[in-house]
Amino acid sequence: MKPLAGVRIADFTLHAAGPFCTHMLSQLGAECIKIESAARPDIFRKPHPVYGRMGPASFDQVASNKLSVRINLKDARGVALAKKLVGVSDLVCESFRPGVMERLGLDYAALAALKPSVVMVSVSSSGQRGPDSHFAGYAPLFGAWGALGYLTGYEDGPPVEMRHVMDHSIGMNAAMAAVAAVYRLRRTGRGGHVDVSAREVACSLVGEALLFAASGGEPARIGNDHLRMAPHGVFRTRDEDRWLTIAVRSDDEWRILVRLIDAPYLLADPRFQSAAGRHEHRRTLHGEIEHWTMTCEAGEAERMLQAAGIAAHISCNMEDIAHDRHLRDRGTVVDVEDTTGHQRAALKVPIRFSKSDAGMARGTPRLGEDEDYVFGELLGLSCEERQSLIDQQVIY
Amino acid sequence: MTDRAVAPLLAGVTIVEISRGVAAGYAGRLLSTLGAETILVEPRDGNPLRHEPPMLPPTNEASALFAYLAAGKKSVACDFETPAGRAELSTLLAAAEIVIHDLRPEERIRLELDEEGLRARYPKLVDVSVLPFGAFGPKAGWQAEEINLIHASGEGFLLPNGLAAERFPDRPPLKVYGHFAEYQGGVVAALGALSALIGREHGGAESVDVSVQDAALAVGAFALQRLGDGSLEHRRTRSFKYGGVLECADGYVELLTLEERQWRGLVELMGRPDWMQDPALADSLERSRRGAEINRAIRAWALEQRTADVVAQAQTLGVPMAKYASPAEVLSGAHERARHLFQPVEIPGADRLPMLSAPFHVDGAAPTLKAGPPRLGEHQHLLTSRRRRDQPAVTAEVS
Repeated sequence: MKPLAGVRIADFTLHAAGPFCTHMLSQLGAECIKIESAARPDIFRKPHPVYGRMGPASFDQVASNKLSVRINLKDARGVALAKKLVGVSDLVCESFRPGVMERLGLDYAALAALKPSVVMVSVSSSGQRGPDSHFAGYAPLFGAWGALGYLTGYEDGPPVEMRHVMDHSIGMNAAMAAVAAVYRLRRTGRGGHVDVSAREVACSLVGEALLFAASGGEPARIGNDHLRMAPHGVFRTRDEDRWLTIAVRSDDEWRILVRLIDAPYLLADPRFQSAAGRHEHRRTLHGEIEHWTMTCEAGEAERMLQAAGIAAHISCNMEDIAHDRHLRDRGTVVDVEDTTGHQRAALKVPIRFSKSDAGMARGTPRLGEDEDYVFGELLGLSCEERQSLIDQQVIY
Repeated sequence: MTDRAVAPLLAGVTIVEISRGVAAGYAGRLLSTLGAETILVEPRDGNPLRHEPPMLPPTNEASALFAYLAAGKKSVACDFETPAGRAELSTLLAAAEIVIHDLRPEERIRLELDEEGLRARYPKLVDVSVLPFGAFGPKAGWQAEEINLIHASGEGFLLPNGLAAERFPDRPPLKVYGHFAEYQGGVVAALGALSALIGREHGGAESVDVSVQDAALAVGAFALQRLGDGSLEHRRTRSFKYGGVLECADGYVELLTLEERQWRGLVELMGRPDWMQDPALADSLERSRRGAEINRAIRAWALEQRTADVVAQAQTLGVPMAKYASPAEVLSGAHERARHLFQPVEIPGADRLPMLSAPFHVDGAAPTLKAGPPRLGEHQHLLTSRRRRDQPAVTAEVS
């Protein structure tokens, strides 16, 4: 059994961040009913020239395991049908621009009037309230607004764009807050509205730097440096574009490293005697470390350093990850079959329970695939009623 | 609408946190901000993050990182190596719903906090392990810091992109600032803890295992999907064809136009220059093909712009654009102020400072930060006074 078994979601989310939230919840056991229409399918269902993809790959990534129904929300009868669905759901998730759900008559106040115990999770660029709440945005803009983009980059270079990890971080935060709200619902019967702001998620990922700035400090881009540790960085190895990350945390680890790379002269060097000295002279020091890493095969060096208790890992590309023994053994990377019957590596919800199950039980639904169950069984619509709504393009 | 009378989401939940690292600490922090009582159990000489930079000026006595992670928590100091210390911990665990920790598997066994031991002694306690590579698997015992984990999860290899990758094509790949992967581990651990708490009602208490690598990889899932499409993502080839990071006269902005109307808005924003009137550019695929040429023109134009003005105009025209805001700009932002994102808290060893609450509102308001970080052992009395609370008291607390 999955931990969230018995929780039902009416899922109005689109694109990446919102659907990733419900993708997590559905793998944790919630029954997630995705609402789209033929007139307005999730844009991620379609090929996308910006990414040059011809199949709905990123859709598979966030839509598998969900149930699909068609509801035309431009029609008042469609809105009424959506409200019926909310009536049998515990949780409503949406990621429209603030104001859209209200125009549809599906905002929190309207739904709570209908069903006081409803829990609603809204995911938007800047939150439901505040002077910028109407702003349009995508992942790189969230990172820019939230200082995460400003702080990421080489010391002497420009800020860096946050990409899909930004969207999915937002979805993960939304999933966490949603489950907290479901907990209260189960315990007290009380619903509530969770309003997730994408740019605030970016801020939350640099919360300590924002606090430092509030006290008069000036956090800045520092590349791969650490504020205390050295050696600390990403080092070249023998092979083209194969990189090794190393972080040395203590004097003991420093001495072990020096022995390991057979460079006793570094121990004797007065600049590198203390942690503060190593940090001050880190550029020179990193050059010395790279002399050694340049002679190594990345994976061998990684295993050798780990065997000595030093934090090291290769910089993985997705081929490495798809075949990684550790990730496979943990069930993190699994093989799934996509809509064309092609096998591909996919990721399971990143939580392992000792007793409960979690993960994907089925693939991406076709648009409207689950209407017999949802409209027929859950909402009790007769075949005639459904056919009539189809004919009137309400179920469309 | 703000309804202050409503109990926080996690009112009445008690969490014991035994942590050294950022991920477990952030999980406890999130849950505390949502209303749980999080009791941080520290060694006698304090949680190591109390000394982790950045330290708060001017006295440099308090760590900004620890302050951010420990805000609102209670602190007890406890030496597990002594029978008395283990008895004290036992008192706390007996009254808790959740224990979050980053103990290594061998430490858990030694402290009798392994799954079997916990289940036998505290049958209703949910336990959550948060380790760099998780508690099982070939790398379970491996050492890692943030820089190792952001690269073990694939995102490190893919950064930087855009302008930084163009300017420095030969430099090593780049980590995200700070503790990005570890924070992901914290969010996932909080999600796992709460899911297990809900699942406890039908399946009983259980153990939850979270790996920071898994968590950071989960949010990077798109790149693995691209591999399934036959495309191995690389930092040098995943930049947007045009737009992205733009240097202006007084800082940087981000520009991203994915939809036709946004491109048309950009044409307006740039004052309809002749080159943009080329009918061929009405086609998005043609624009994509001529991205480099378009970008040269956009970049030359951007250099003449002031960030505040151009962003305001862009948003009016429906062009997605944002300033790369510095931390100081975020702190003083009108939007952030209106949403009470930052709330003043007392920080021992520093001043009263505005600190980020949480990246969401609940019941119409930002969750209230209960307090700043605790002094070491500030709530030591909990070790002796804490008893399993009776149900009426819990019910009263949440209603």
